Formats: sequence, structure tokens, C-alpha cells
Amino acid sequence: MMGQVLIAEFSKLRRSKVTWASLAGLSMGPLGIALFMWIVREPGRAASLGLLGTKANLAGLEATWPAYADALTLIVGIGGMILLSFVVAYIFGREYTEATAKNMLALPVARHRFVIAKLVVAAAWWAVLTAIVVAEAVAVGFLLGLPGFSAEIVTGMIGNALLAAAISYLLVPVVAWVTVAGRGYMPPLAFAIAMMALGNLFGKTGWGPYFPWSIVPTLVGMVGEPLGGLPVGSYVVLALTFAAGVGGTIAQLRYADNSQ
Amino acid sequence: MTDDTVIATSGLTKRYRDVLAVDALGLDVRRGEVYGFLGRNGAGKTTTIRMLLGLIRPSGGEVTVLGRRISPVEAGVFGRIGYLVESASAYPNLTVRENLDIQRRLTGAPRDAVARAIELLRLDEYADRRAGHLSLGNKQRLSLARALLHRPEVLILDEPANALDPAGIVEVRELLRSLADQEGVTVFMSSHILAEVAHLADRVGIVHEGRLIEELDRAELAARARAHAETVLTPQQREDALLSMDLERYFLWRTSNGRSGDGAR
Repeated sequence: MMGQVLIAEFSKLRRSKVTWASLAGLSMGPLGIALFMWIVREPGRAASLGLLGTKANLAGLEATWPAYADALTLIVGIGGMILLSFVVAYIFGREYTEATAKNMLALPVARHRFVIAKLVVAAAWWAVLTAIVVAEAVAVGFLLGLPGFSAEIVTGMIGNALLAAAISYLLVPVVAWVTVAGRGYMPPLAFAIAMMALGNLFGKTGWGPYFPWSIVPTLVGMVGEPLGGLPVGSYVVLALTFAAGVGGTIAQLRYADNSQ
Repeated sequence: MTDDTVIATSGLTKRYRDVLAVDALGLDVRRGEVYGFLGRNGAGKTTTIRMLLGLIRPSGGEVTVLGRRISPVEAGVFGRIGYLVESASAYPNLTVRENLDIQRRLTGAPRDAVARAIELLRLDEYADRRAGHLSLGNKQRLSLARALLHRPEVLILDEPANALDPAGIVEVRELLRSLADQEGVTVFMSSHILAEVAHLADRVGIVHEGRLIEELDRAELAARARAHAETVLTPQQREDALLSMDLERYFLWRTSNGRSGDGAR
């Protein structure tokens, strides 16, 4: 039965514009960094491009492979946290906005199977997006002809991007929980944005590695001192957050009234 | 409750803070009958149906369908129930056929069930059209097709004639009657239109402010309508009332005959 539930959940994405919109959104990231790097490589360009050139200079980017690698991790980590929240809000929230939750929940299928299948769909969706964006980033980096290339930098960049993507994924079951509790798109999006803001705050207090939504910003050096690696406590916090999100979503569907 | 009972509720109650939506409802729907659950908007029909399907939890009392107590953690019995809750809904990006195929997979119905359901509800012309591009009436047909697809033993339908044109209403009425008569399917259907259930139901339960105030069989219902028409109305009103079997007039009749809303039997 789980196989049929998975097929059904993947089928629901047919002709969905949201899949393409999410790909377009994330793939803009490497192109944006590349544009800034292309601008800052030659001071004359920045001057001739006016405001855009000023912004590129203010971003403080160096046009090198190591700086490009850091920026990519930031895009996948921070951009990914927001984008993945949109994806999960869509996968779970559409059942309420399209009024199909009432059909789904009275089927002869245990409700936890829907939660697991939807999270698998989100994982597959996110894995494909990450793979495409990382491949795009590597290709764009080569096309730019950035200095300082080494195989280690590129493999490090890919590894960090995948780690940031994996951490972002561990946070999404909580977004799913907020979605089914709020029965729509707005509550999870507001929640994701609020958590991002809180994550930045916690990151500055030194507790970044122990607050789930601070871990990625801290890891990529967006707040606080960049970490060489995550302490064990961060992985424990992430595992607990993931488990709480999955458990909360299942409990919400099982025990709360589904009156929409 | 008898051996023949398919849907049974006892003391079924739902309270939302200080609003009592369903008040100690007792139902006993028997195998193969068409039971009309009649009430005005806001009477508690949809809340009752949601409790029958385990979508909301009763504040008190219990529900059994096909001898199994309904609980959100016991999904098995739902494979024997077809349902339509409130407004018609479907995945708008998927075609009629794709929507039904999802239902087929999740109910374990055979592959040919989709084609059969499409034919049964006369959706052939729209089978490859996206649900988001269907008219309200065809969306309702799609929802009915979804309810019937896995050949359930029990149909729980909330206002099944919603959005259908007069010909569609007659068609659906005949389909439900034949399912009950020929295949022994038990049909529990809600409506706020007396005429709709009077033409189809074997028994009618009238719900008002969350309480079952009266149950009538078809003969009693027809006799009541005739008596009402003969004593209260002018000849023209009588004709209109007999044709439309208007629910508002039914309540007027109850009031004019000194019957309050708490005369449940």
C-alpha cells in the first residue's frame, strides 16, 4: 500500500507549475552570484553599471573560486530553507486550499502513510533541485573562468551545499506540521520567515549551533563565526526537530478535527 | 440496532465551544435502504457526516459503520464506504481520469474501475479534461464517480445533487436508487430539499438544530405532505407545495400544528 500512496503523491505533481517555479527560483542563485562576480572582476564594469555595480561592490564578494563556493553554500542553505518551506507548504497545504483533505483522510489508508509519502516527495523534489543547482553552479563557475580553482575547492563546495541542503530538509517536517495545523499556505510561510529571523538572532548570541534555524546560517558564516564543522549537539537538535515535526504532523492529522 | 444495521450512532454529540452543532443524535440506518438526512442549512448535517467518516471527533457518543467503530486510527473500514463531503473537490491540475486513478490506487480497486466510473457518471466526454476546467456540475459528477469507483457497500453523500442540472438530478437519483435496489448498497444522503429526498429515500430523518426531531418512512412523508396541503394551503399553494415539497413550509406546518422542535422519536 505504501507504494501506491507514493505513486499517488508523485502523481499529484503532474502539470504543477510550482515545481518549475521552484527550480527557476533556486537556479537564479548561482546566476546572481555569477553576475556580481563578473561585475567586481573589473572595476570599470562596476562604475558603468551604476546601482547594480555599487551593490556588487557592497556585497564584498571576491571573484575567486573559494568566494564563489562560500556564496553557493549560502544560496543553497539560506535560500533553500525558505524555498523548501514553500515546497512543503505547497505539498501539504494544497490539500486544504483545494479542499481535497476531506477526501484524502477518509480513504482506507492510515494517515501517517500520507505524511511519510509527502515528505518523501519533498525530499525527492529537493534532491533534484539541489543537484541541478549545484551542477549549474559548477558549470557557471567554469564559464566565468574564476581564478583559484582546485578540485578540492569544488568538491568542498559540493559537499557543503549538500550538507546545507540536508540540514534544511531536516527542518521541514515542522513546517509540514504548521501547514496541517493552519490548513493552508500562509501559516507555514509566516512561520518559516519568523524562524529565519529568530535563527539570525540566535546565531549572534553564540547559541547558533543549538537552535535549529540558526544552524545553517552559522554553518555558512552568515551569522557569528564560521564553523569548521558542526558539534554533535547540532545533529542531536536537528534529529529531535525532525522527529518532533514528523510526529506532530501525524498526530495533527490523526487526532485533530479536520473540518475544512 | 439490529443485525441489519449498517450505520449506527448513539448519543452522537459535537460541541464547538459554546455552539452545540450535533446534539445526542441517534441513527439506525439499515442495509440496502436509502436514508434521507434532511435539514436546513446549519442544522448539523455536514458535521454529522464528517463524524461518520472520522474527519472530526465527536464530543460525545459513538459511531459505527458496518459494525466497526469509526476512529481516525482505524482506516480499514473506509475501503467499504464511498463518500462525498460538502462541496465537490478534485486536484485541478489533474484530468478526470487521473483524479480517479489516484482514488483507484488508494482504495485498491481494479484497473477497469476508472473506466466504469467514468461511464456510470457520463463523464466520457470530459475524461481527459483537467478537473480545474470542469463546470461545477461536472465536478460534482467527478466527486460522485470517486465515491462509487471502488464499489462500496455504503454511500455517505452530503448534498449529492448540489450544482447538478434538473436532468442530472434525476439521473443521479435513478443511479442511487438502482444501486440500493440491485446491489444492496446502503445510501445515507443529506439534503436541505425535501423534494430531493422524498423522491428517493425509503426513510427520512429530519434534523433541526443538531437534533433528530422526526423520522418518517416514505408513506408517512407523502401522507404528511397531503394533509398539510389539504388543511393549510389554498388550492394553488397546495399544488405548488406538492410539487416542491418545500422544507420551509414543512416547518411552518409543524409550528402551526403546535409541534416543537424537540419531538424526536
